[in-house]
Amino acid sequence: MSLLDPIPPKVLSVKRLAAADPALLRAYGADPARHASLGLVTCDQDDPTYVALDEATKHAGVDVVFARSFYAGSAHASGRLSGEILGVIAAADPDELDHGLSALLRCLERDACFYRADDAGTVTVFPHVVASLGHYLSAQAGLAPGESMAYLVAPPIEATMALDAALKAADVRAAKVFPPPTETNFAAAWLTGTLSACQAAAEAYAEAVVRVAREPRDAPFRDR
Amino acid sequence: MSATRDLVAALKARLEAEGPLAPPPPVPVVAAPPHRVFPTPRTRSRYAAQAAAHTTALVGIGHVGTRYATDVVLQFQAELAVAHQAVATVLPDGWAEQNGLLPLRSRVAHHRQFLLRPDLGRRLDEASVGLLRDRADKDVDVQPILADGLSAVACMGSGLDLLRHFTEACRARGLGVGTPMCARFARVWLEDEIGQEVRAKVAVILLGERPGLGTGDGLSAYLVFGPKVGKTDGDRNMMSNLHARGTPPAQAAGRLALLAGAMIEQRTSGVGLDLSGLARELGEAAGRGYRAPQERTRLVEVSR
Repeated sequence: MSLLDPIPPKVLSVKRLAAADPALLRAYGADPARHASLGLVTCDQDDPTYVALDEATKHAGVDVVFARSFYAGSAHASGRLSGEILGVIAAADPDELDHGLSALLRCLERDACFYRADDAGTVTVFPHVVASLGHYLSAQAGLAPGESMAYLVAPPIEATMALDAALKAADVRAAKVFPPPTETNFAAAWLTGTLSACQAAAEAYAEAVVRVAREPRDAPFRDR
Repeated sequence: MSATRDLVAALKARLEAEGPLAPPPPVPVVAAPPHRVFPTPRTRSRYAAQAAAHTTALVGIGHVGTRYATDVVLQFQAELAVAHQAVATVLPDGWAEQNGLLPLRSRVAHHRQFLLRPDLGRRLDEASVGLLRDRADKDVDVQPILADGLSAVACMGSGLDLLRHFTEACRARGLGVGTPMCARFARVWLEDEIGQEVRAKVAVILLGERPGLGTGDGLSAYLVFGPKVGKTDGDRNMMSNLHARGTPPAQAAGRLALLAGAMIEQRTSGVGLDLSGLARELGEAAGRGYRAPQERTRLVEVSR
């Protein structure tokens, strides 16, 4: 494994509730009038899962009713199936739910993932470009469905340096910035613009993270 | 492949091309070979131990398997280094003058030539012959000559001591002693030419001897009656191992003066010299009696 190799997310559990109890539906933010079935997923990488949940909304009539990261990340999970996120999608019937779940898993398998920002994999980066937003992330970001968005995550110092690089690299604007610490102690930013601008920003972001990881101290302070 | 993965793969290619090579895979740890100890077996016989006590020669040193023990090898190498160093040392310029000696030199131009051309080391160069004619006392009984020989270390070490003691011992016997002098790049036979020039009855050259193991400081003395170019070794008497662990200079000086006196008395030297009457005064040097055990100086300490 070397620099910028993908770190495949591990899906730790995929469970369905074909007809969930209304109290449960309400508690997890679903609407018993429209939703009957719940699909639950845990994964060891939270941000790829948010992207994958959003991806599900583009392929099936499902809503992301619940998605929360766990504190301090998957290295400090409450159990071997907890990972760092629980995502819940709700659908009117189990069939629609299955379509949504398979789109979600396909996205986690082939698309969204963290990357190594150094050879050892001790620094990671998530410079993901969502070409076309679904209902979930667009609502979260305050953007219209179908817009492009760069979903950028890195550890605090790397993220701060890289966000500046990304904003300057392309004609993008910050839809939302999450300064550290988030639940998992990372820092994140959602930038929007044209697809090519988002791609340029994401690339600049990843490159900046790698450079910070390579050289954590600026020249005058290298030996202090 | 997704768009993001393509994008990152392209970035990866770009960064890797500009950066240094990826670090090499870690080298596998090779297990250390099993540790084995080869103790020196306590198999020395009593005979070997006693024999070794009487000499500094390498006898009764034991063995480990088919090889020498480590301390023996280290000791040997250290002693050999001492010997090499002694041979390689050159008498410094001006040393003879500083010590009040008439500075002479042989026809040897440099140290390497000295080692390779013994014949040149047996003759004086023109300047030295001139010096002898101008400044040396003539028609003396004994002409002592200090010389570097094969160990300038010994010459500079106990050489002056031996010369002083020898001069005193000769005077005590009523012998006239010539001008003290020091010859550089000298071989034993150089005393013939020097003695001939100063018309000495006996010429004595005190010079550093070819170093043995661990004895870079040994001096030898060669005496010849009626020195002149062409004398052979059959005409000479000599004492060797004049150093602290052999015959100390003070003791050796008395014996040398005795020999010189006997030569003048008998008007001969070498094989023709009769030492039978001098056995008591020459001590162990003349006889085959008991010799005190010698201690080998240890240059290397190995804990056991």
